[in-house]
This record gives sequence, C-alpha cells and structure tokens, in this order.
Amino acid sequence: MRLLPEAVIPARVDRGRILPAFLDERDQPWLHVLIDEVDRFRGRPLRELQQRLREPLPCATPHFKSRAAVRLLLRLGSAEITSEVSPAAAREKLFVEAAVQTDTPRGSIVAAAASALGLAPAALERALFADLPGERVFVGPESFPPPHELALRVNQLIARSLLFRASRVRIRAQGALRPVVRQAKLRGLICTVEDGDPPVLDLSGPYAVFRRTLLYGRALGELLPFLAWCARFELCATCMFRGQEAELHLQSSDPFFPASAPKPFDSKLEARFARDLKKAAPDWDLVREPEPVRAGGTIIFPDFLLRHRLDPSREFLVEVVGFWTPDYLQRKFSLLRAAKLDNLILCLDQERACADGDLPTGARVVHYRRRIDPTAVLRAAGHAL
Amino acid sequence: MRLVFDQGTILLVDAESSAALADLPGALWDPRVRALRCPARFHQRLLTELGQRGVRFEDEVAGPADDLPALRPTDLRPYQEAALAAWALADRRGVTVLPTGSGKTRLAIAAITRLRVPALCLVPTRVLLDQWARAMRECAGFAPGLLGDGEHQVEAITVATFESGWRHMRQLGNRFQLLVVDEAHHFGTGLRDEALDMSIAPMRLGLTATPPAGQTAARLTELIGPTVYELRVDDLVGEFLAPFDSVVLHLDLTPAERAEYEGLMATFREVLRRFRAVDPGATWQEFARAAAKTDEGRRALAAWQRSRRLLAFPCAKRQMLANLLARHSDARVIVFTADNATAYAISREHLIMPLTCHIGRKERERALSLFKDGKLRALVSAQVLNEGLDVPDAEVGIVVAGSKGEREHVQRVGRVLRPRPGKRALVYELVVRATGEVQQARRRRNALAA
Repeated sequence: MRLLPEAVIPARVDRGRILPAFLDERDQPWLHVLIDEVDRFRGRPLRELQQRLREPLPCATPHFKSRAAVRLLLRLGSAEITSEVSPAAAREKLFVEAAVQTDTPRGSIVAAAASALGLAPAALERALFADLPGERVFVGPESFPPPHELALRVNQLIARSLLFRASRVRIRAQGALRPVVRQAKLRGLICTVEDGDPPVLDLSGPYAVFRRTLLYGRALGELLPFLAWCARFELCATCMFRGQEAELHLQSSDPFFPASAPKPFDSKLEARFARDLKKAAPDWDLVREPEPVRAGGTIIFPDFLLRHRLDPSREFLVEVVGFWTPDYLQRKFSLLRAAKLDNLILCLDQERACADGDLPTGARVVHYRRRIDPTAVLRAAGHAL
Repeated sequence: MRLVFDQGTILLVDAESSAALADLPGALWDPRVRALRCPARFHQRLLTELGQRGVRFEDEVAGPADDLPALRPTDLRPYQEAALAAWALADRRGVTVLPTGSGKTRLAIAAITRLRVPALCLVPTRVLLDQWARAMRECAGFAPGLLGDGEHQVEAITVATFESGWRHMRQLGNRFQLLVVDEAHHFGTGLRDEALDMSIAPMRLGLTATPPAGQTAARLTELIGPTVYELRVDDLVGEFLAPFDSVVLHLDLTPAERAEYEGLMATFREVLRRFRAVDPGATWQEFARAAAKTDEGRRALAAWQRSRRLLAFPCAKRQMLANLLARHSDARVIVFTADNATAYAISREHLIMPLTCHIGRKERERALSLFKDGKLRALVSAQVLNEGLDVPDAEVGIVVAGSKGEREHVQRVGRVLRPRPGKRALVYELVVRATGEVQQARRRRNALAA
C-alpha cells in the first residue's frame, strides 16, 4: 500500500500528541460528490481528472481529508496507454528523423516519420507521449466503494501513514494477540511483553535504541490490520511527525476498515501437524492458538493446546520453534521452570538450528525435520505423565 | 563474550560484566534484550578496543562470504591515482571531491579491483544502478550483484540504490568490507544515514563533486570519513576536462506575462509577509503547511506555483531556445529545464528526445546510444541528467531553468565538459530580468567559480 506523504496526512499535533482527522459520517456528503466526480472521468486522460480535482468541489470539502480520499480513489482505478503505435517507437522514429532534417519545417518531419510508421501525422502526435502518467486513460474499478466504506479505507490509510513515522509502538490488547507477535517477529522487530491485564506488547526495531528512525515504520504499520482482530486494543506509537516527536494513540473503537481475517495457520508445517495429529490420535483435541500463558513476568504464546478428550486434565501446550540457539533454549527453560510450567512441549527444527548445544535435562523436546511427527509429540507428553 | 550481528547492530552477548564495557565506542545498554548494543559501523573500533583491554571474546559478526569474481586491473589518470593514494593514506576512510565528468566511478572500481574485498556501492538512483553495472563490466570485466529497480541479487560486489541499501542493510550489513558511496553529499542529513551506520565495512570511500558544509559535513566525516582529496573544475580544465564558456542571456517577459507574474507574486507575497510577521524564523515547509490550511493561503501557494511555471518557459525563453538550437544545429546539445512538463513541451516543439524519470531503462539506454552516435542531436531533461549519469560527449548546454540551486548547476555544467582535442564547451543560462531568477543565476555562477 502506498502511504500518504507526511505533508498531506490529515492530522495535527497538540501538546505532543498527534490528533488524526479521521473521516466520519459528516464527511459522507462530499465523499459522495467526489466519488461521482471521479467516476465521470472514466475513459479520459488522468491529467484531466487530476486538473479537475485541483479545483474545488461544488460543496464544502476539508482540504487534507479530501486529498487523502483522492489518492485512495485514484489507486482503486488504473490507467491505460491507448495509442496506435508504441510511444517509445514513435519517439525514436520522429526524433531521429528530426536530427537528420535540421532545416526542414516541423510539420514535414512529423509527416515523414508518420508515413514511415504507417500513421496519420495526428496519430503520431497523439502517440508521442501517450505513456506519460498524466496522458494515460483513467480506467476506474468496476464500482467505487460507497462513501461510508471509502471513509473507513481512508482512515486506515491515515493510520498506517502515521505509523510509518513511528519508531516504537506499545499495544495493550485482549485476544488474538499471537498473530501480532508472530508478525512482528517475522518483520525483525523486538517484541517484549509486559505482564498485565491485558498484557502490553512493546515493539521496536534493534537499531531504534540509538536514534529515532523510520526504518521500522513500515513493519509497525503493517501490524495494524492484525490488531483489528483483537477483541480490544489500545495502541500508543512514538512518531516523528512534522519535525517533532509526538505520540499517536489508536484504539479498537477508531473507525478503520476491517482487514481480512488472519490465516488460521502461520505455516504449512503447522497446518500439516494439525492434520496428521487428527489422524494419528483421534482421542486428542487440538486447539489452535490457545490463550497466552504467563511465565515469570513475561508471556508465552503456544501454537497449540493438546487436550485428551476423555481426561481434559491431561493438557499440553505445544510451541513450534523454527530458529533457535542453545542460549535461547536455556533462557526459555529457566523461564518455564521459574513459572512452574512443565506441560510445554517444544518442537525444534533440526535443520535450522544455528548451533549445537546440550539441552537441559527433563525438557520436553521433539526434534523435527520438515515435518512434526504427532506420535513423537504424544510420546513427549506421555513420558512426563 | 560473543559479538553477534543483529540487523545492522552488534550485540555483546554473554558479557561477564556489561557495566565494565558500557564505555565501549557506540555501545548502549539495550534493556529489551538485556545486552550492550552498538551500531555495526563501530565493529572495527570494538575489536581494537576489546583487544587493548584484554577482554576475551569471539567475533561472530562477519556474514557469509561470497566468492569474488575475476577482476581486471583498472588504469587510472594521474589525478585519480593521487586521489586513491590519499584515500589509502587516510586508512581507507574518506571522501574524494572530484568534478562531474572526471571519472569518479572509475576511481571507485579501481579501489575495488585493487583491494579485492567484498564491496557494496550505494548510488542515488535506479538510472545510476545500470550505469555502475555497465562501468564495472567495461572497466573490470565483472557483473556485480544489483539491489534496487526490481533487482535483488546480492554478490560479493554489489551495487544498490540508496533506498534499497537503506531498506536491506539490516540483512547485508555484515557482508561487505568496503562501502562506496556515490554522490555522498546526500548523506549526513539524517535521511537514510542508517544505511551507513548499519554496515560493518571498515573501508569507506565517498564520492562527490559538491561536498556539504557545516553539520552535514561533520556527520559525513563520522559515517564515511573526512575529505581526503579535492579538485575543482578549474584544476582539470584543459587536459582532463574541456575548457568552457558560460553565457548568461537576460530576457524579458512580454507585457502580458509581466502583468500576470506581478499579480501572482503580489498575491503570494502578501500572505508570506503576514506569516513572516508572526513567525520570522519559520521554514518554507512550515509556511507551506500553514498556508495550506486556509483558502487564502492555498491561493497564495497556487499563485507561487503558477509564477514558477510561468518563469520556467515564457515566450522569450521559447524564442531564445529556438534560436540557440538553430545556431548550434551541428553540435550535440543538452537542454536543462526546471520540470518535466517543460521538458515535454520543448521535446514536442523542437522534436528532441526527452530523458525524464518517465522514460524507461531500455529506452533511456537506447537514446543515450543514439545521441553518442550522432543520430539524436539533442536531449532535454529536468533532473535525470543532473547527477552522475554518464552522458556521451556534448558541446553545448542550455539551462532553460533550474529548480534545485547551485549544486544542481555545478553538476549540469559538468555534463558538457567531457574532453576532446580542440573542444571548447558552451553553457547558456536563460534568465528572466527582474525576477528571482537573476539572484539564482548569480549564486549559481559563484558556486561554479568556487
């Protein structure tokens, strides 16, 4: 998604806090007019539409909000080159011809080049720059979204454009937090979790400890759609906005466009494990993404909960660890010991381990290579019973 | 203790006492991972410092090593040899200042072929990405990896755009020993400085024709090194750069244009005057932002933009350009404009090839090749030809208007200074009387003379 440049983001800073100007129902009249106006320019050069949109609409329009909406509307459509000959070919033929005939009038040169291309001179003139962005013909989408939906989409764009300027984000959220943590880690962010009710995620990039940087803004902004699936969230981002550091606060009640649901499995490996376990052990239920577990001041996000159907007290947590070092495991196990959590089974990828090392004794560990064997997991569980 | 590369930084893992090491160069305590962390560029200094203190450690920072391609030796001109020697004497950390057209790319390629170490070259634009790759093939017989413009192929010697370098240095920062920074004056302002901070490369070579001053220069010294060698256009004119004449042509607006210009500027100046009265120290960006909030302010900004468009190509410039193109119909000419719209207008009117950001890579290369062979007589460009792009020999430059000040002008003039026996280049500047252009032209000439 192409974000809004800083200068046109509808937001202001008041006493160190960024106040985004989100669109609401009061904006719907002018959004309606704007959509109609853009729709009217289907089949015409983009330049004409852009020129029209620089002029005022026949109703009161908030300047920055409307510019954000225009950007979004133009992105929903596309622009096509319509010329009888490739513009690049037209340019080469004509300009090379002009270099040869320096004393010939312009019209004669155009006529000669057009004739060589089998075109009328006017068609050559039309083709000459038909590939420039403004000369392409605007092709809208099949239908534009209704004003209320457009408003939500613009709000999403505003929020992500602001988050792009963030160096650190703190999120207090309830439910479905795991996809957020997972996505943050995939994007190379450091994610620390403070215990609390609800827990607080603190997200930033490694380099952010040295200076305010926009390096991680895109990654932080990309987490927003995943937050929409938390039951409730409050987000506080530290941003560099218009030359100053300011805080952005967002929450689940803000009017955003709902993102598509997170994928049920993060990887094929996990999906396959779920399938295999169902076949191999029909007596066990597998719960995807169980509630996070508190462990010694932090929180663990298991991938699965294994529960015996006849004896629900036999319950195990399973975490798939793709990339690990002995240090990491030592820390993890000492955390589990401190939290007296002895029913967590770690599945370790043998291929991706970056070093060998002794595992702590008594640890419930299953090694896998490309595929997690469900019977090995059950063995690890049974062994401890 | 172990030193580990972590996304453009170095983590000091398993330290016996982090407190005793907290004064290491660049080190900060990172409470998120409970370890000391440094920007990667401090790697070499960390090794030295830890060695001096007798601290036992394992250095696990270096990334995977790619095999170097076969490199052909690169010959240099005497002043390029001198520049390279000065850089070597400065511990291979520093900026060389050489005029446009004096062969900075070749200098960098020679540094790479002689040192034979993994090297990453950062270049400002996608256009220059191609050009560097071509120069490496032609000068030293190898094809580098490319990062940017849709390419993502990392080799022992790689060329990356600034933007891609900035985005990917987290993953690449431990793979190169030498960092070459083309048009190095773009760094030091904070924008994308992380790209240089996140690399461990102990050897750094900056290239520029227009070094920055003040705080930016100081920051550039931290990130790359000090200026180690400097030559100006005058030092090379004659033997290595063509001598040139600069002609400023003062032109008048038509009465109708003058009336329109004055009207537009009156609208603009009134709003600016009132804003300045309240906030005399405000920047242009702050003014533009404040003005955009009111109808009157927006009218003022629109008036200012229209005045710029008017000055970009008024009747007198149009007429003069036609005369100059006719007068130099036998020469290869480059026309410089302030914006793309004027470049296209000139292209359409005079049937000369535009080179803008909208012209794709294949067509651009084809156009430069046709220009070199004399099959295209002129090129018109707003910004693409400003910086770095190696343009075939041209004798005449016509600056219809500029938008980026003195630095841009120095680069533009350099485009027509490629030497040839008997050549004397000619640079025309078209300036509208009694407008801001007169002052701009004076500043440009001063910059060129500096």
